[in-house]
Amino acid sequence: MSELDPYLIPALDGVAYGLLLFVVAAGLVLSFGVAGILNLAHGTLYAIGAYVAAWLADGGWAAVPLALVAGVAASTAAGTALAGLLTPVKRGDHLTQALLTFGLALAGGSLLVSAFGPDDLPVRVPAVLDRPIDLAGHSYAAYRLVFIVVAAVIAVGLYLTVTRTRAGMLVRAAVDDPQMVACLGVNPTRVRVGVLAVSGALAGLAGVLGAPIIGPGPSTAATVLLLSLVVVVLGGLSSVGGTLLAALAVGEIQTLGVALLPTTAPFLLYAAMAVILAARARGVLRRWSTA
Amino acid sequence: MRIHKMTAALIALGLVATGATACADESGGANGTLKIGLLASLSGTYQAIGTDIRDGFQLYLSMHGGELGGHPVELVVADEGDGAPTAVPAATKLVKQDKVIALTGVVGGGSAAAIQPVLAQAKVPFIGSNGRPELKDITHVWHTSYLSQETGAAIAQYVKDNVKGKVFAIGPDYQGGWDQLQGFTDAFAKAGGQLANADGKTLFTPFPATKNFTPYFAQIKAAGAEAVYTFYAGAAAIDFVKQYSQSEVKDLPLYAAGFLTEGGVLNAQGDAARNVFSVLNYSPDLDNAQNREFVAAWKADHDGPPTTYAMASFDAAAVLDKAIGAAGENPTSESINNAIAGLGQIESPRGAWQFSKKTHSPVQKWYLRQVRPDGRALSNTVVGDLATVGE
Repeated sequence: MSELDPYLIPALDGVAYGLLLFVVAAGLVLSFGVAGILNLAHGTLYAIGAYVAAWLADGGWAAVPLALVAGVAASTAAGTALAGLLTPVKRGDHLTQALLTFGLALAGGSLLVSAFGPDDLPVRVPAVLDRPIDLAGHSYAAYRLVFIVVAAVIAVGLYLTVTRTRAGMLVRAAVDDPQMVACLGVNPTRVRVGVLAVSGALAGLAGVLGAPIIGPGPSTAATVLLLSLVVVVLGGLSSVGGTLLAALAVGEIQTLGVALLPTTAPFLLYAAMAVILAARARGVLRRWSTA
Repeated sequence: MRIHKMTAALIALGLVATGATACADESGGANGTLKIGLLASLSGTYQAIGTDIRDGFQLYLSMHGGELGGHPVELVVADEGDGAPTAVPAATKLVKQDKVIALTGVVGGGSAAAIQPVLAQAKVPFIGSNGRPELKDITHVWHTSYLSQETGAAIAQYVKDNVKGKVFAIGPDYQGGWDQLQGFTDAFAKAGGQLANADGKTLFTPFPATKNFTPYFAQIKAAGAEAVYTFYAGAAAIDFVKQYSQSEVKDLPLYAAGFLTEGGVLNAQGDAARNVFSVLNYSPDLDNAQNREFVAAWKADHDGPPTTYAMASFDAAAVLDKAIGAAGENPTSESINNAIAGLGQIESPRGAWQFSKKTHSPVQKWYLRQVRPDGRALSNTVVGDLATVGE
């Protein structure tokens, strides 16, 4: 027990980090898997939510629902606008999509900096949560503990939505066979707009809740985009479970991995990605990725 | 009717404008206008520091009627961006096209090193106000800031005297981090201090990839340290301080190079930064006439107090002011550079300092500061004098 003791908090923190990445990456998986859109502005959608949280949060409880509603609404609106701008681009034309969304990410980032200033902004959480709490002889940030619970609820909700509801069925169908879904009379434009709006909402939700963990600043969008792309590569596109596992793995690599193997930690994340890519290219994981 | 009014207004405006330029031309008649180049990061990662550097220099100019050494000055500002790839073309334009007589600013040490060939060829003196790289030839290079190793060296003895036990050293894994931490660990070892780090060597964290310091805090706790010494700046400083305050090592005193809590980052850290000790060559609450005047003028059009970055740039203007004044009636790049070499003490908001003949950087006093509430905001309050460093 005492040997494991120093790794308890990093392991727990890996869960908090992983769940945050899961909520962000779920949006990215959705837009790529369902609508076939490679959205490099996804990190910017997170940043919008985080900036809104920093702007509205004043340390009181009333600001929490307000920031949630406003942040999610702003990111949803941005996601919908993105869908509108992507209308002329053919499905599957990933280069044009990447260029367009990357350009929008750069422009959006500059707009956010000119609106909120070049500094990283502080995010005030309610005082009860803004303190360390005692956990088996260790201290851990209360906010992160609560975040783990909330994000776990969101993850379960997402899983149930995808597996148990009609909308979720449509989503899974659109991943497997988009043409058949179109033949069934579902308008692909509506699917695209809907998917990007939901994807934006997830990024915004993650941005508001995650602002005290990955805070709003000029580099936020790039950081979040990079990590969630890694999650998508590791987890594949077609199952909520795969994304969740990959997100938790990335979270643990960045916390527990650093604690266990400090010298190799910087490379672990990308080494894991290279191994998965190589394995998948050889077909080892094909069954898993379409499961 | 309306159109007539507007035309009249436009004509009036035009008259005022031409009148104003005419006046400006006349006032510039006695002594020729000098062009000074200011290169700083006005976009990108270091935008906040670059803006402070620009504003610090401009503040000195506006407090002195737009003149340096009795000559009206035209300040040509260029964007350094994130580093050498953007800094070099910008510096080349300032030197070759604008033909500036001297250059100041520059946030990054890498940028400062990369623009040297351009400046050396034209023999334009460079009065840097922030990053100081390792350079072979410093004939035309002066810095009003500090050498990276000096920060940690200035506080090492104090930490040795005030911490009963071992100290854990941690910092970012890049040149600036190595220099900052080495300055501390060398002087700390010389003072008889012991590091708590497992192999006696500083723990360097990947930069800028590290966003989450929790695993390192677990290591610090496991190492049995009694205090921590660190250097981070910018976004990493915010993450480090916020996470430290809620971590397993939250009760260990945190000593740092002043950049950890300097400027905009302190606002973002908020209460998490309270009680952090840091060492820097400046604090806005220093009690001297120059500083009171500087802080008051700065606060007139800025929200927060001035930073060390703004102060160093303000001093770069003061250095040029004195040097141009001593460089004769028609100052040239060469005569200004020679005049800088001959400057004595410079009265500054940080207290008096002078250039080291050997390093061309300040011989100056360093201060111990602690983050304390100042009215409603937090501020780096001076709690004592540390060593005077420089040779």
